[in-house]
Amino acid sequence: MERHEPNEDRDGLAAEYVLGTLDAEERAEAERLIAADPQFAAEVSTWESRLAPLALTAESAEPPAEMLGRILERIDDVRPSDSSTVVRLNRRVRIWQTTTAAAAALAAALALAIVFADRPPELQERYVAALQADGETPAFVAIVDLAQGTISVRQVGAEAPEPGRSYELWAVGGGREQPQSLGVVDAAARVPIMLLNGERGSLGQTMLAVSLEPEGGSPTGQPTGPVLFTGQLVPAE
Amino acid sequence: MATQTEQHDLSELLSRVANRDRTAFVVVYQRSAAKLFGVALRILRQRELAEEAVQESYLRIWRNAGRYDRAQASPIAWMAAITRNQAIDLTRRRAERIAKASVGIDEPVFDRAAAEAFSQLSDNQIGGDPDRLRHCLEGLPPDRRTMVVQAYCAGLSREELARDMAKPVNTVKTQLRRTLASLKRCLDGET
Repeated sequence: MERHEPNEDRDGLAAEYVLGTLDAEERAEAERLIAADPQFAAEVSTWESRLAPLALTAESAEPPAEMLGRILERIDDVRPSDSSTVVRLNRRVRIWQTTTAAAAALAAALALAIVFADRPPELQERYVAALQADGETPAFVAIVDLAQGTISVRQVGAEAPEPGRSYELWAVGGGREQPQSLGVVDAAARVPIMLLNGERGSLGQTMLAVSLEPEGGSPTGQPTGPVLFTGQLVPAE
Repeated sequence: MATQTEQHDLSELLSRVANRDRTAFVVVYQRSAAKLFGVALRILRQRELAEEAVQESYLRIWRNAGRYDRAQASPIAWMAAITRNQAIDLTRRRAERIAKASVGIDEPVFDRAAAEAFSQLSDNQIGGDPDRLRHCLEGLPPDRRTMVVQAYCAGLSREELARDMAKPVNTVKTQLRRTLASLKRCLDGET
């Protein structure tokens, strides 16, 4: 009769865990071990690496367009009345503070956001977003003014798009099934845009994004080019 | 297929995601979602369940990007492993739905795509050592190779494997363990 060494059993457990063939009880035990035993966790990790090329043979398939929006809503860690919002905004101001007028204007807008960030969503009249890539200087500033029914967008950084291309602004998340186009953002100046669709209460869960599209904007009504800048809408005065 | 440069970029992006960079996260999503959705679909075979698995995966990617270790695995392999785990967790619900839909007991659960998976291993794949894995899989007896590939790629349970290969469940378990042990010896260069 074959005698199983304890190590073999453990390695078999790790291997079958990665394979996916453990029954519910064994799977729960394996998960406990992964959390409690670094050596077991390492064995599992090694099995993942051994078999990974096989996983990647899966044929790609396009997920539904609204999936990104749903995910972004759930990773939302910027809540209007959350004090962590204040810390986050402060850090942004420090990082990219420059002497340009545009940056000063944004600093003023964000300072307002800090002061009034604890008003309930339904009383918020203005929201701001700093759209940026890689955490450095914001490329665009957007201010949503519910009283006026406008979204003002100003370019404060970034280069003009190459000839034949345009920047297009989108609203993502906040209960939207798909990104909503807010129009082409002219590289040169602020552009007043009609009010977003959606509930005003959901503005705090809305992200604005700028993608690079063919000149004149996306021909399909959905983003076709890369998303270059994003920013969460946060309440301002 | 992903290039070395793109994988390096994904590594960079994941370290930014670890710093709560939402733009980097959106780019990671754009570059990987189709592959991860494909991985989940191959296991779950139902769009709704696959969507759930992938959404949950991206939440974990967002939360755990700081734990990604580029020495251990390529970014896409790391993300695919997360997706596989989510999908395996949902296979019980898949089984319930299949049972409700009264799929005939004779109908093979084997997925053709999964059956061909190992033959698609090429050195364009990023993640581990595809040539070695292919060589070691080829060295297995065909029915053992089928068990491993169908379990891993199509998410088949021991019961489903047992049914489709006409073997007792305990035999499947024993054979799986032995096959995995010998696969390990080959992959680790001990044979």
